[in-house]
Order: sequence, then structure tokens, then C-alpha cells
Amino acid sequence: MAYDKDSQSIVDYIQNFARKHSLFVLAYGTGCGAIEIPPTMTSRYDAERFGIRGAATPRQADVLLITGYLATKSLKRVIRTYEQMQNPKYVIAFGSCTINGGMYWDSYNTINMLDKYIPVDVYINGCMPRPEAVISGFVKLQGEIQAGRAEGWKRYQDNLDEYRANQKKIIKNWTMPDYNW
Amino acid sequence: MEDIGYKIFGAILTTILAFAVGMLYGGLSRKIIARIQNRVGPPVYQNFLDVFKLLSKKSAINHGIMQHFAPLWMIAMSISTLMFIPVLKDGLFFTNLNFSGDIVFLLYIMVFGSLGMALGAGQTGNPNSAIGVSRGLTQMVGFEIPWIMALVALMIQYKTTSLTGLLDIQSESGTWMMFSSPFAFIAAILAMPGMFRYSPFDIVGAPAELASGPISEFGGKYLSLMMTSGSIFAFVKLTLYVDIFLGGASNLIELVIKTFILYLFPVLWGAVSPRFRTEQAVKYFWGWPLFFGVLALLYASF
Amino acid sequence: MTDILNTENKLLEVLNEEFKLLSGKVKRKCRVEITIENEQIIPVLLFAKERLEYIHFSHMSCVDWIEDGKLEVIYILWSPKEKINLLIKTKVNRDNGNLPNIDFIWRQANTYEREIREMFGLPFDGLVGNQDFILEDWEEIPPMRRDFITDEYVSETYFERPGREDAKDVREQILGRTDEDLPDFAKKYSRD
Repeated sequence: MAYDKDSQSIVDYIQNFARKHSLFVLAYGTGCGAIEIPPTMTSRYDAERFGIRGAATPRQADVLLITGYLATKSLKRVIRTYEQMQNPKYVIAFGSCTINGGMYWDSYNTINMLDKYIPVDVYINGCMPRPEAVISGFVKLQGEIQAGRAEGWKRYQDNLDEYRANQKKIIKNWTMPDYNW
Repeated sequence: MEDIGYKIFGAILTTILAFAVGMLYGGLSRKIIARIQNRVGPPVYQNFLDVFKLLSKKSAINHGIMQHFAPLWMIAMSISTLMFIPVLKDGLFFTNLNFSGDIVFLLYIMVFGSLGMALGAGQTGNPNSAIGVSRGLTQMVGFEIPWIMALVALMIQYKTTSLTGLLDIQSESGTWMMFSSPFAFIAAILAMPGMFRYSPFDIVGAPAELASGPISEFGGKYLSLMMTSGSIFAFVKLTLYVDIFLGGASNLIELVIKTFILYLFPVLWGAVSPRFRTEQAVKYFWGWPLFFGVLALLYASF
Repeated sequence: MTDILNTENKLLEVLNEEFKLLSGKVKRKCRVEITIENEQIIPVLLFAKERLEYIHFSHMSCVDWIEDGKLEVIYILWSPKEKINLLIKTKVNRDNGNLPNIDFIWRQANTYEREIREMFGLPFDGLVGNQDFILEDWEEIPPMRRDFITDEYVSETYFERPGREDAKDVREQILGRTDEDLPDFAKKYSRD
């Protein structure tokens, strides 16, 4: 096809347009920042006008929101949830605890850098970010999807061994199925 | 020969029309509910974007052949049901296949779609799906009874079991069935939100209930097929109501207007009401709607 | 001043009569502290609950005295009638210490005892409940003990993000401020 828009084929352009305008967010609050999700989704700071709606199970969801710190107990469950989602999938990380450990940087139970365990696409800083900041994070994710740069799931598939090594260093009792999709 | 050609072409056109109108009504209902809740909702074409996005997922995870087969069964049943409903009263393309035992046949075939979903949900082995399926079937026992009573009352009153027969009676006598057998109309209208699975009867598929019930293990392409079949089935039910009670439609614009007015009833009621539990829903259906159904039967016999 | 602390002193007298206390003190209004031996825990708590009507079990916590080689457990009771907090302290050996289980007196003590068992390593005999309460697959020594060096463990197990290149040390700027630099509304609330 001779049509090229920003060096992307027309099929990719249409697919990314559809993907960015209808994001299904998994209703799973992993940390203390989950209290900012209901105001974002309801009437005052309406997120549904961007096409964002809640999904009940990981099989139906596109976006996983990591809202805050992750203890090692919840990291195991989050990894299992992330691997059950279908490609292409995105991860948005809220708050300073995912960036560099935040308020709990010297705790024996919480992880410091989230990017070493799960690939992250967009970080939103704050402690916790307000709904306006959350919506601007979603808009940035939309920009990344349209440009074709939100490829965290491909990074996870290619570098699976590194991610697994990092995860197994912390999670000692490894009882999860193999990642084969 | 050209008759068959027209019928096949009409079938394809009807399917495309049902898909487009059903999706548009879904988006419109989201917009209306959003405006009722004092916010700007998604654009009207949002359901199309949802379906395209779900079709562009790169992996299809399934647990076996029956789960793979279930959405295909559902959409096949929706389209088959669509083929037996005369979309327009007369015209070249849109009167589909119909024969003299129509109404009884439709009553049976409308239930097949959920059977496919139940089988597919059973294969996944998720306990949420099993409970959701049992709830859905229990609710179906609820709303089917006033609906069947209304239709049986009509069949007794007018001594015909074919949809085109009912359409002809309405166009001959000039009044709609809504006015000439009012109790049947009221019973059928009160049973309508149960068919559409909107609030307050959306306990089967709502995301907060049991992780969305039977569809909890379907994602990606299967979910897109289910959404499509849901929209086509909504159009089927609306057109059926228009044909039986509101006198059919002779051109597309009239059809769209009549179905939209009828569609506003479950949407507006659903926007302001909470959710019923299964036993409360069945108790509601076996209350006033059943009463009006019995009245309709009595009215039809005398 | 002492007649304001009437009920507290009376309480201390009653307890001194009944049991042999290692020490007893009225710390301030509404707070009385006593120290007892291990074997007297259950009699003292039952007496306080049934006879003196200290029916509310507020809290139970633990302090690590590594210099003496002992762990100190503190029970806090509250009486809604006289509105006094009663603190009951005991000390046990750090290595092989054991305390009785007071689960049958107040059921909520179960949660506090499980937390102390996991975080300090102090077993309560007869305690029923999962071993894994808060931490999962923990293989080191109990983390609240003072010989568990958190900094070393954290720098070994978790990653540390390098700082920004334009990071500035603003401590001098903040600590060097005097009162004249503060704006007017902050002077009203400044600490002095």
C-alpha cells in the first residue's frame, strides 16, 4: 500500500486508533492509590468520555494500574494477573513508590523499582496523583499507543529470563504456571 | 430465481443493518445514561471502537474447543433469529423468510443463544461462570412466563400463528395491536427489561457481580463476537415488538423511530434503578406482569 | 494536686494489696503502670477484668531490650467507668522466653499475639492460628528484633534507583533560614 502516515501502515494506524480510544481498565487496586480511581471514573472527572471503562477480569482488560507500593505478597499476585491478560497490554504505575521506592524505600517488605519486575509504560508521579493527573497520564498513554511506542508486552516476551530472575530472587516459593503466551 | 437472489441479498443487508443499528443503540444508551448522571459520556460510535479493539488482540486464550465454539454458536443463533423476522412489511429486500408457524418457532429459537454461552462457560471450569449461568437461567424462567402468556393471548384472539398474519390484521383494521389488546401489550412491555438484561435485571453480566458471570473467561476475539451478537439480538427483539404491537414499519426511517422510542423504556428505567437479586427479579415477574398476562388470556377468550 | 489523682492512687493500693508487684507508678492523670512477673499475668488480667471492671483490651505490644537480653510485653487496658488506662508490663527472656496465651479472656488478643509471634519471635503456648500472618516465605530472623539490620537486607535484596543528575542538596538552604525569612502567615504557626 502506498499510504503511509508517519511511517506506519494504514492497518496499524487504524488498529492503534481503535486501541487508544477504548481502554478497559482492570478493577484491581494494588495499593493505597486505588482511592483515586473511583473519583476519576465517576461523574465529576469523567473518564468515560475517553472510552475508558472498567473490566472485571484480567481476560477482558487491557490496562493494569499499579497504584502505589507493592509488598512481596502482592507482587506475586500481580505477576500472575499480568500474565493472564491478553496481548497487547499496558501497565500504568502511579505514585512515587513505583518510581524509586517513595516513602517506603527502606522497608524490608516492599520493592523499590517496579520496572525490573513488570514492564511499565507510563509513570504518573505524585503521592497520590489527583484525578486530573491520572487523566493526563491516560492521555499520554494514548499518545504512546498511537505512535506505536507502548510495547511493554513485547519487552516482557523478549526478556522473559531477566524478568524471571528478578522475580524469583524475591519470591521464594514459586508456584506459578509457565508463561507461554 | 431472482426471488432467491433478492432474498439472499436481503439477508446480507438485514445483517449489516442489524449490526449497525444495534451498535449505535448501545452507544446511544451509554450517552443517555451519562447525561442523566450529569456528565459527558463516550461518543456515540464507542461500541464500534470497542469491537474493533477487541478484534485486534493478538492472542486468543481458550480452554478447549467448546469455549472456542460458544461465541460462534451465539452469533449464528442471533442471525438465524433475525432471518425469520420481517423487518419491513413489504418491499423487495427486507421481508425475510417466514411461514405459518412463526411465533411458536420464534419462542423456541430465541433461547438457543444462551445455551451456547452456557456450554462454553461450563468448559472453562471457572466457578463464577457456573453460578452466573444458573442465575441467568433462573431469571429467564421469570420473564418468559408473562411474555409467553401475552403471545398466546394474541394467538388465541386473532386465530393466527404467523407474524405476517398479525401484520396483515393490523394494517387491515387500521389500529395497532397496542390498542386492540392492551393487556397483552402491558404484560409484554413489563417483561421487556428482563430480555434486554438491563438494570434492574443485569445481575447476570454486570462487572461487579461475580466477576461478570458467564463471560468472565472470554476475552479478545470471543468477547467481540459476544458483544456483536448481543447488539444484533437487541435489534431482533425490538423489531419483533414493533411488528407485533406497533404495526410494523413500511420504510426504514419509520422502523428506526419506532424502535428507538421502544428502546428508551428499558434504558431510562435502568438508569435510575439499582439491581435486583435473582429471587427478587423472579418475584417481580411473577407479580404484576403475570397478572396482566392472565387478564390478557381472559380478554382473548371472551 | 494529689487529690485530683485520687482514683489512680486508690487503684494502685488495691493492686498492691492483692498481688506482689515488682513496681507500680502513677505516671500522670489517667495512666497507671505496673510491672509483674510472668506467672502472674493471667491472675492479674482476670482480676482487672472481672473485679475492677477494666473490660476493654486496648493494645498489646512488645519492646526489645537487647542490652539486658529481654523482651518486654505491655498490655494496655481501659475502664470506661473510671476512664483510666492501666499498663501491665512483663519481661521475658529473649532466646527461650514463653508467655501464656490470654486468648480466652479477650478474643481480639489473638491478632496481637500472632503479630508478636511473627515479628519478634516470641511464642505463646497454645496459640492457634496460621504461622504466616503478614510476611510470606520469610527466611530470616524476625524483622522487628534489633539485631536485624534493615539497611543491609534492603540493599542486598532490592534495587536502588540512581538519583537525578541535577539533584541538589537543599538542607543548608532549609536549615539556614531564620525567622525573618518566613512570610507573615507562617510566623503565626511557627514552633517556639
